[in-house]
Amino acid sequence: MNQTFNKREPVYVQVVRQFKEQVASGELLPGQEMPSRRELAQKLKINPNTVQRAYKEMEHEGLIYTEGNMPSKITEDQKILIKVKQELVTEAVDALVKAIKPIKVSFEEIEPLLKERFMSEK
Amino acid sequence: MIEVKNVVKKYGRKSVLKDVSFTAQKGEVTCLIGINGTGKTTILNAIMNLVPINSGEILIDNQKLSKESYETVAFIPDTIITMPSMTIGQAMTFMRDFYDSWNQERADELLGFFRLKAEDKISSLSKGNTAKVNILLGLALDVDYLLMDEPFSGIDVFSREEIANAFTDYLVEDKGVIITTHEIGDVEHLIDHVVLIDEGTIVKSFAAEEAREEGKSIVDIMREVLVR
Repeated sequence: MNQTFNKREPVYVQVVRQFKEQVASGELLPGQEMPSRRELAQKLKINPNTVQRAYKEMEHEGLIYTEGNMPSKITEDQKILIKVKQELVTEAVDALVKAIKPIKVSFEEIEPLLKERFMSEK
Repeated sequence: MIEVKNVVKKYGRKSVLKDVSFTAQKGEVTCLIGINGTGKTTILNAIMNLVPINSGEILIDNQKLSKESYETVAFIPDTIITMPSMTIGQAMTFMRDFYDSWNQERADELLGFFRLKAEDKISSLSKGNTAKVNILLGLALDVDYLLMDEPFSGIDVFSREEIANAFTDYLVEDKGVIITTHEIGDVEHLIDHVVLIDEGTIVKSFAAEEAREEGKSIVDIMREVLVR
């Protein structure tokens, strides 16, 4: 993975979002083991302290859990998994609305286009 | 922790460092940023006791620099220290004989990582490869603190990327790193702490992630305090 991070948003926040997207898309499965902090730091080319902070945040949100000295795992809690998905959808819709509003079009005008694009996107 | 306390350095009547204080924590990457000629290199030289300071104090893990504490710190200058007539292999042997903390296994790994050849003469290398040899020699030392002076300066973009990669791959988590740079681009996401220096004075010291919490990049902050 060679990804670029936004320079004006905390890197740990971006790492957390990336994990949420992977969980929501099914790329990461409930109960699946997370890479070690060091592995992830190397993979993402970021500071291990930043990864540590991202893991702490995900633990706090209940997205991952750690038992003893075992590697952290993705939660199997359906409530949390559903919440993650809702959160991502809300964020994306908010961004869309924010981008479209200044153009001053009615919802009725964009609805057909939105539907068409939604259906044609794989 | 490396503590630089109220350090003053004068060359003749010219003050190069004017009451400089900051700390660099173990397990963190601290970046000294400033436009050229602001005293960054002098700070590293002072930490290594390569230049005498006029006043102030520098402590490494609460101790003044001694032979013992010196063994816990490695310094990678921006110009190669070994003789250019040496081959890379000879330079590695030289380092092995000179430093107890030399880690041959890691050195060999890094040689492969950078795709360098041990039999190549250092004087025949490109600027990018010379920088890689420099980084190799520093990262192969098992030390607590690593000081790097402009590791990304004046080399091509791909070499810079490789060095940044080696940096994350071989950076032991509990190592304390101080790097100087005037070009933040490649290392922006590797840095924990930023110390901005201007004309021998520290103008701002902050955590990179905290700046981003406020929606600012490191360069945004530099622009705020350095460009007047």
